[in-house]
Amino acid sequence: MAATETPKKWGMVVDQNRCIGCWTCALGCKEVNNEPLGFFWNRILTTAPGDTTGETSNTLSAPASDNIDVPSGTFPDVSMAYLPVACQHCEDAPCVKVCPVGATFRRDDGVVLVDYERCIGCRYCIAACPYGIRVFNWGDAQQPVDFTIGYGKDYRTSDDRLVFTPDRPRGVVEKCTLCVELIDTGEEPFCVQVCPVGARIFGDLNDPESEVSRLVEQGGATELLPDLGTDPRVAYVPVERKEGSV
Amino acid sequence: MATRVESIAPRPHRLGGASTAWIALLGILVFWGLAAWIYQLTQGLIATGMRDVVSWGLYIFTFAFFVGLSAGGLIVASGAEVFGVRSLMPLSRLGVMTAAACVLVAAMTIIPDLGNPQRVWELFRYPNWSSPLVWDVLIIIVYFLFAVTDLAVMTRRGTEPSLRARRLRTLAYIGLPAAVLLHSITAWIFGLQISRPWWNTALMAPLFVTSAILSGTALVTLVALAAQRFDRFELQPETRNALCGLMAAAVAVDLFLVGSDYITILWGNVPRDRAALDIVLPGGSWQWLFWLEWVIGGIVPFVLFVVPRFRARPLLVAVASLLVMVGVYAFRIELVVGGMLRPLLHFAPGNAIGSYRLGAASFQFDGIYHPTWVEYAIVTGLVAFLALLITVGYRRLRMLAAEVL
Repeated sequence: MAATETPKKWGMVVDQNRCIGCWTCALGCKEVNNEPLGFFWNRILTTAPGDTTGETSNTLSAPASDNIDVPSGTFPDVSMAYLPVACQHCEDAPCVKVCPVGATFRRDDGVVLVDYERCIGCRYCIAACPYGIRVFNWGDAQQPVDFTIGYGKDYRTSDDRLVFTPDRPRGVVEKCTLCVELIDTGEEPFCVQVCPVGARIFGDLNDPESEVSRLVEQGGATELLPDLGTDPRVAYVPVERKEGSV
Repeated sequence: MATRVESIAPRPHRLGGASTAWIALLGILVFWGLAAWIYQLTQGLIATGMRDVVSWGLYIFTFAFFVGLSAGGLIVASGAEVFGVRSLMPLSRLGVMTAAACVLVAAMTIIPDLGNPQRVWELFRYPNWSSPLVWDVLIIIVYFLFAVTDLAVMTRRGTEPSLRARRLRTLAYIGLPAAVLLHSITAWIFGLQISRPWWNTALMAPLFVTSAILSGTALVTLVALAAQRFDRFELQPETRNALCGLMAAAVAVDLFLVGSDYITILWGNVPRDRAALDIVLPGGSWQWLFWLEWVIGGIVPFVLFVVPRFRARPLLVAVASLLVMVGVYAFRIELVVGGMLRPLLHFAPGNAIGSYRLGAASFQFDGIYHPTWVEYAIVTGLVAFLALLITVGYRRLRMLAAEVL
């Protein structure tokens, strides 16, 4: 596996200054992963600028706004930002800690995955995830079309664990895989590839020269719900408000 | 030992047609539950009312409740031995037998909750020791084996009474900590989760231990009163008073702990904690839980337990015991649903169709949970199976008592 030859530490940065809330990444994700009807691994919340800090995440309305595409504040003092949320691939992932059978596991390169052949369907991980990004196959997956779209085949890790299959088994939990089948062959995750405004940046956090490292080290990128100490591998560059703007 | 002998001493059987009808009824309910489970296996968990926002439901409430019920018996029995509470000793066997039955059925309750029950063996093949669930499975097994051993020692033929008493006392020293551990670990399944502010309190383990003592003692009391009513089991007034005293104290401590939690959240007024509490406080969408827990399952039975005129009447004690069990069950629902109804990131379109309804604002979704007939049928079947185990266990104990003593 290419990823294991040199030690990688995959990470993603979402630049909220660039995100236009178009949902292309969410739909791209849904297509490439053949996500069943009603499932989203990736979604775009509407939030007030800077709502990823621990301070404001203590409020009910943050980081998500109550309304989609609706600014917060009172006119004329209103503001708005978009917050795309998928699996945060936490370093200290609550889901990995609670999974009784190790079906949810963290690879050496930091990607948190679910083994579809191991999951017993107890849904403890859904209870444990602070970001609410996990979805469960309650019944048989429903698809809008009768053929498979997207990546289209099974993907196994080097230790033979089934971490992606286009036809979801019943009774297992699924979530963002950081497009493990793509990054293992040197490609970027699909959401990064399809973003029309380059708001998503993917790279190796072990490489100090990479753009993700630079944004995390110097770009002021922050984490989602940082007060929980989950240490996510996804970071957000908060919106910079220009002097005099509202 | 003398008191214990007296209580389950052989008497002529009065159990006839009524007893057969009771067992037949329970048998039918068990089969009904089994049929519902088979139906659920063919459909998947979509047959339940659980969805991604409220992803644990009736099975988990009932599991946590059954685990709690198993406490009482063993705590009554072991407490009688360890602390030498003589008035409780007559109930030792009955207590340990109900404990074994409850913990067995609690373990069974987990199975229908699993999306892939055929993979349950993986818990032993690939245990992840950082998961409270694995420790819970382990302590449930240990606890069940302990209860069975205890029962075997109690009813073994031909053991010298003094030797038996010594063995039982030794076992009681293991049983009491095992019971406390069982409830604490079950509490930590919830209490350790940082993602659910409502669960994430250090009070969770003490709360579970207290509510377990409460509901478990209530079950033993109910079984003893039923045995007195329908059989010739004798529940001495002093024993009944001791049970009432224990339950009155437990209900008071239980409400004190829950109240401490409420006041901490109300005073702090942190919105994400308030979001959960407001669901169950008067005015919230699940406020009936509050009334069940505080009034119907709290203050009312407390009064019945402490006023001598009331607790002298077996029927009122039975009603009060039933009410505290209702109150404890309400606490289990409050815990799970309160924790899950309002996720930290509350706009969550990453959830399967049908799992949400529109919230107060556009595109804001609140979780909903309405159990389906499948869930009710399976849980009813499990309750019936528990009643069946206790009924059969009681008759068996009675026979053993006739032979041994």
